[in-house]
This record gives sequence, C-alpha cells and structure tokens, in this order.
Amino acid sequence: MDRRHFLRVTAAAGAGLLVGGTASCATSASSGPVTQTAGTVSIQSNLSAPAAKAAIEALVKAFNDRKGAQASVNTVASETFRTQLPSYLTSANPPDLFTWYPGSLLKGYEEKGLLLDVGDVWRTMGDYSQPFKTLSGKVFIPTTYYWWGFFYRKSNFAKWGVTPPTTWAEFVALCKTLQGKGVIPLGMGAGSDSPWTASSWFDHFNIRVNGAPFHRELLAGRQRFDDPKVKAIFTPWREVLPFTDPNGTAIGFQEATTALLQGRTGMLLTGAFFADAAPKDALEDVDFFRFPIIDPKVPLAEEGPTDGFFASSKSPHVKELKEFLTFAATAEGQEVYIRNSSGTILPTNPKAKDSGTPLVQKGRRHLEEAAEITQFFNRDSSDALQPTADAALVKFLQQPDQLDTILADWQKAAQQVWSA
Amino acid sequence: MSRRVPPVLLLFVLVPLLVEGFWVFWPALQGFWLALTNWDGVSAPRFVGAGNFARMIDDPVFHTAVTNTAIWLVLFGGLSAAGGLGLAVLLQKERRGVGIYRAALFVPVVFSLVATSLIWQVLYQPGWIFDSSPLADPGTALYAVLVPALWRQAGYVMVLYLAGLKGIDPGLHEAATLDGATAWQKFTHVTWPQLRSVNSVVLSVIVIDSLRSFDVVWSMTRGGPYHSSELLSTYMYSTAFQSLKLGYASALAVVIFVLAFGVIVTYLVRAFREN
Repeated sequence: MDRRHFLRVTAAAGAGLLVGGTASCATSASSGPVTQTAGTVSIQSNLSAPAAKAAIEALVKAFNDRKGAQASVNTVASETFRTQLPSYLTSANPPDLFTWYPGSLLKGYEEKGLLLDVGDVWRTMGDYSQPFKTLSGKVFIPTTYYWWGFFYRKSNFAKWGVTPPTTWAEFVALCKTLQGKGVIPLGMGAGSDSPWTASSWFDHFNIRVNGAPFHRELLAGRQRFDDPKVKAIFTPWREVLPFTDPNGTAIGFQEATTALLQGRTGMLLTGAFFADAAPKDALEDVDFFRFPIIDPKVPLAEEGPTDGFFASSKSPHVKELKEFLTFAATAEGQEVYIRNSSGTILPTNPKAKDSGTPLVQKGRRHLEEAAEITQFFNRDSSDALQPTADAALVKFLQQPDQLDTILADWQKAAQQVWSA
Repeated sequence: MSRRVPPVLLLFVLVPLLVEGFWVFWPALQGFWLALTNWDGVSAPRFVGAGNFARMIDDPVFHTAVTNTAIWLVLFGGLSAAGGLGLAVLLQKERRGVGIYRAALFVPVVFSLVATSLIWQVLYQPGWIFDSSPLADPGTALYAVLVPALWRQAGYVMVLYLAGLKGIDPGLHEAATLDGATAWQKFTHVTWPQLRSVNSVVLSVIVIDSLRSFDVVWSMTRGGPYHSSELLSTYMYSTAFQSLKLGYASALAVVIFVLAFGVIVTYLVRAFREN
C-alpha cells in the first residue's frame, strides 16, 4: 500500500518529513514498478479484485498463446494505481499499457502529449457504436462496461406482493407500501469509505430531470452547482428521503449490499459490480429495474461506466502494444475476459457474447434502449471533483433543509478544483 | 592531543549521512520548493510564490482542519499523557500479575492502526452499542476517531513513564515517607520533578504523533462526513493524491512541519534554560 509506505516514510523522522513524504511520492517515478523485458508489452493493471485480476490474466494468456507479440500484466492496488498514475506516465521508462476509463483526466494527459494515438486500432473496430468512439477519442480502447439500476430480490418482492415501478409516482407508492410493511424501502451505503455512492443518486436524478447534456456540461464546469436546475434535482430526492435507510450515511457500500440481500432494505441503487461480492445462490434471486422516469420529455439516458486500456506515448513497443489492443477489442478477447470474470459485465464489441445469464442480458438491453450513455460523476468530471460531491451530498442526506448553503459551498469548492 | 578518527568510523558516519541526505533531506527540501508552486504531478511546476499560503486564508476546509488539529493535539496529547502517567504510577509496583496488565495495555500499540480502526468501526456500527454511528455524525466524528487513537497511545506513553519511574532512586521515596509526606506530596515533590527528562521525550513523541495522526482518521472517516473530522494530515493527503494539487499539499505539509517544529523547539529551549 502506498499509504502505508507513505506513513512509514513520515514516521521515520517525525512530522518534518511529511514534506519529504509528499515530494518523494511524487518524484519517485524513476524507480518504475515494472521491469521491461525486450519486446514484451507490460500492462499496469488496477484490477486488484480477485475476479477481475483472474480475467485480465486470462486475457493476457490467451494473447500470448497466439504466439505473436507477448504481454505481461502487473497488478497493483487500485488506490496505489490512482495516486501513482502521474508518476508512471512521466517516468523515463513507463509501462506500455494501463487499465483505466475515459474521462477528463485522460483528456488532460492527452493534451500534455503523454498518451499514444491508437487510431490505427480503432480502424479494426468499425462496428463499435458511436458513443464508444466519441467517448474514447484516439487514445482509449474500451473493452467492457456495466450498468446501474435499482437492484432487489425477486423472492422478497413476491413475498411483499409488489412489482417493479416504471414511473416516479409508482416508485413513491412502492416506497410507501414497503414502509407500511416494516421494511426500509431504499438502501444507501454512503458512509464509511464509500461516500461516493451518494453521487449515483445525484447523477440519476440529474439525467432524469435535466438530461444527459446538462449532466456533462455541469460536470465539465460549464454550469454551476448553485443553478436552479441543479436545485431542482433535489426536489424529487427530498420526496424519497423519508424512505431512505436512516443509517445510510453511517454504513458503507458492503453493509448496504448485505442489508439488501438479507431483506432489511427493499432495493438498492447500485452498479452491477455489486454482484462480485454477492453469494452465488443469492445472485439468481436478484433482479433490477431502471431508475424511474421523472419527466417523459427528457430523452432516456443511463449510466454505463466503460473500462479499457490506454498506452503511454513513451512506449518502445508501439507495434506490439497495438497488437494487444486489437486483440482486446475483438469479440474473442472480450469473451475470454468475461468468461473468467464474475460475469456481470458487458462487452463493448457488439459481436461479443456476454455471460448469457438473464440478469446480464437484461442489463445489456437496459443500456441499448438508452438514447444517451453517461459514465459516472467522477468519470464525467474528475477524481478531484468527487470529494466536493461527497461532502455536499452526504450533508444533504443528513441536513436536507440546508440545501441552499450546501449548493453554494459546493460551487465554491468546485471552482477551486476547476481553477487549479 | 587530537587523535586521528579511524577511517572506518568516518565511513560509518558519512555513508548513512549521504543516504539520509539523498532520501530524506533532499526530498524534504524539494517539498519546501513545491510549496511555492502549482503542480499537478505531470506538467512542470509553476512558481506562484506565497500564493498557496495566501489561499489557505480563504479555505474553509483548511480552517476546519487547523481547528480539528488543535483539538486533537490538546485532547490526544493531554489525555494520553495523563492516562499514560496514571497507568504507569498504578502499575509501577512489582506485584503478582502486574505484567499481565502492562502487557494488556501495551497490546494496542502492537496492532496496526488500520486493523484497530476496523475493529472500532464494527463497535461503532449502528444498532450495536450506539443507535446511530458516531462516525456519521459531524458533531461526534472527530471524538469517535480520537477514542481508538487514545486507546493505543496511552499504552505507549505508559511504557515511557514506566521506564522513567524505574530510574528514580527508591531512597528518595523512603526519605519522604520517613518525613511523613502524603502520597500526593510524594508524587508532586519527588516523582514529578524526577520525570523531567522523560516528560520532554513524551512531549516530543505526542506532538509528532498527533500531527502525523493520519491512518486512524483516514481508515475510519476519510476526514468526513463533510470534512468534520478533517485533520491537516488527512487534508494534505487528499489534496495531494485525490485532487492532485501537489503544490498546495506541499504548502500544507510545510504548515504541519512548522507547527511540530515550533512546539517542540519552544519546549526544548525552555527545558534547557531551566537546567
């Protein structure tokens, strides 16, 4: 862990070294983490969860078995990866490929000339849908994505005699019914180490009330958080706050998942990744429905966070790494990856088969029906903006009557991030 | 008169000095330089003079972090020193089983603070001891994090004081007893003055430890909810590695350094003058 290392450094000689710790963490780039072997494409991966790690290793093995160029993967903890990414990219001898997602951070690196143009690879990806092309530019190759929705247990919904809602009015009515039965209707896990999950509520209300274009403009800094349109997001949210788990800002994402699976909460707005941690038998009982439509005039948008690879412009293995990216973009490569993963992700290649479970097939349709795909708060903005959202939204959950102050503070904090 | 220093000895001093200089002092100096720049970790640092320090004046999160760090310094430092001294005085006499108590109180020091935080996080979970988690309430979060930090630090300070108490000549206590001194008089007039050298060690340890308290806060609350348990150290970390504002973060680190250095130097100067 970088954090521990960081603390050990500072512990060595007391607080004076806090300064040294910061500087050395940022400048230790020369001691790069990957040993370069001639001709082998080195992939720096942040997929440290067991299922995802197995999947990327299987992908690399399948690539190597083709007896063409060879690749090797180096997995580091995702927090370390995130904090060290600038060091990796600016070091003299960086890894060739990185796992990541498209977004403003990547655009920033592209403008600084740190990323390799992989437009050649895109020429082999003609059947990819337009949103993926727009999202990726010339520097990113998308391989998988996943969806968000209100997940619930089918057996519990049957027991309570309720059905999934489609409109906002039905949704509120469902919450009322569940509360009448002594169940907490809406789970929330915005406490502990996962305050960012509150942003999923913000994002969904935003794309339902204001639409995807406004969502993008707001997160790119072209709109303000104290705008009346942002304030309007919180009107329907406030309506369902009484139905939300009162411990929602005290417990983390894992406990919120457990609460849902144990039937203490009725439904949970979450990404399909939550299935990674769910027991297999419970998974067959899990279904989801779309975040209810609030304004039918707003074109349907859904969050579909996309993952994939980008390459360093300093790589000496341009030909080999493009060979790998081309393989990772094929249906074959993505099927290998998905077969070895937890299975609740979708391939970006339209010809690639998903894991085929009813849940995943429904998830694929769920995103195909959407006119617009957004990524997620931190992906459409930046990791730097995420903490400002965490502070504002957790405060809203606890003190909803402070909304005006919260939004004014949020705008101030966001401006600090944007002006930096 | 002057004996030649053997070259081996010289080597023993110079090599570590070089290593220390390169890996510790040089990055530390760079940190001071970075505090005067805007740097995102990728582009070249841009010199802004004292701009980062000026920005702290209007930064509400910085104000919260300074206030919290001051509260932390007083409570964490004061309570762990008082608690550690109290425990040491209680457990200094050799009697049967006292080793078990000492060991039990020292055990939390051995645990990793991250593991400690996980245990306390479970204790704080709603519906166990508390109806709602004190970690989620901005009014109590800082204090809820302080408790496990104290739980650990008190054992550490206790060991320092135990060592100090062992160094006191028992003859002094015997003489005081013969003179008819009460237990309190013996403590204030015999024990306490004898502990002066230990006190300066304890103070330095406490000041340094409280200013670099990070892991316990980060793993329990990440400085939240909405910055209510933010310390200078956690704010520095999130500024540097979440927001990638390394210049501003270095300026925060300089503030932490100046605070720690200031408190300790003031104390040491005073302590030496009294001697």
